[in-house]
Amino acid sequence: MVQFALPKNSTVTQGKHYPAPEGAKNKHTFNVYRWNPDNKENPRLDSYEIDMDKCGPMVLDALIYIKNNVDSTLTFRRSCREGICGSCAMNIGGTNTLACTKACEDVKGDVKITPLPHMPVVKDLVPDLNQVYKQHASIEPWMQNDEKPPSPSATNSDAVAAGFAAPGRERLQSPEDADKLNGKDGHGPAMCIMCFCCSTACPSYWWNGDKFLGPAVLLQAWRWIADTRDRMKKKRLESLEDPFKLYRCHTIMNCTNTCPKGLNPAKAIAEIKMQMVKQKE
Amino acid sequence: MLNTDRPLSPHLQVYKPQLTSMLSILHRMTGAALAFGSVMLAWWLFAALDGVRAFSLVQDFRESFIGQFMLFGWLFSFVYHFLNGIRHLKWDLGFGLEIKSVYRTGYIVVVGSIILSVMIWTMTGGK
Repeated sequence: MVQFALPKNSTVTQGKHYPAPEGAKNKHTFNVYRWNPDNKENPRLDSYEIDMDKCGPMVLDALIYIKNNVDSTLTFRRSCREGICGSCAMNIGGTNTLACTKACEDVKGDVKITPLPHMPVVKDLVPDLNQVYKQHASIEPWMQNDEKPPSPSATNSDAVAAGFAAPGRERLQSPEDADKLNGKDGHGPAMCIMCFCCSTACPSYWWNGDKFLGPAVLLQAWRWIADTRDRMKKKRLESLEDPFKLYRCHTIMNCTNTCPKGLNPAKAIAEIKMQMVKQKE
Repeated sequence: MLNTDRPLSPHLQVYKPQLTSMLSILHRMTGAALAFGSVMLAWWLFAALDGVRAFSLVQDFRESFIGQFMLFGWLFSFVYHFLNGIRHLKWDLGFGLEIKSVYRTGYIVVVGSIILSVMIWTMTGGK
């Protein structure tokens, strides 16, 4: 359902201000979304002035600095700090990205940080991802192939002999077929880290997220449809044949525009739509 | 007591307007404007059938400031919806889905629709 305004309990109020310690020369202000489930108060925007000479360059560094030195109650997800785990996905300066790979100086003026958009908030910058995880499970993101894996043959005997493949257990792929997943440029659908920056940047997902699968999950759907080792292409396509699951994509392209890994979910969705037509011929 | 009535994180309130989403919503709005415009067109045609008095009433409205504004809006809506529609058809065939191309064609469509609608408007003299 399209609802432009935030519900009553979700409107953001002005929060506390934490000024920089005296003598700070290189100041940068971070306005951070806070919500605490321990009381009935509305979310608020706290502003923290940070001395950037004492803090690392990335937005995640600033958040960790705040948690360690200013306000230990600030809650956010983070793990790898190098853009591969997808935990610290949030809205920074108006677009979704990973806090660990976004440099503070790349944001003009004050840095506004809010959770991934249009999601239920668990606490502060931590959104509830149950819905997207359920939707991911619904596309059955695993290899499905009833055929027996090939025994050592002309195609993989070299690999078996070299110890790269176990006989009768592995399904090998040509480098060209693998490129469909990894991408020639390393930006294929298999490189997705499931941070959900794209899905939560999509207005269509905001309004119909309960029924539309969203760009991240559809990119994964395409990752399995495009896999030459998988045999359930037909079934996978049929399960997406629905007015909402796939076709709520209106090619807005916010997804591709915001992907912190430079992947192209919109293109994957277009590929699924084209395969859908081909299957019907 | 833990408050499990979770708030909804801000979306439109914080998300940066950008060419991708703005042209998309403009496509939707011009589509709606076109639908409304075709009702106005029907009014004009019915009035023409109705006789001089009804027709001159519509003509007066059409030549008024509001009428001219709406007419130009309809023209622009038509041109933009048409050009952006070509962009959508191209996407549906799997072309031009890279961000660079999306921005290039986006600017072309915006500038193109302004130039084309002003050109048609001046050529027809707002009639």
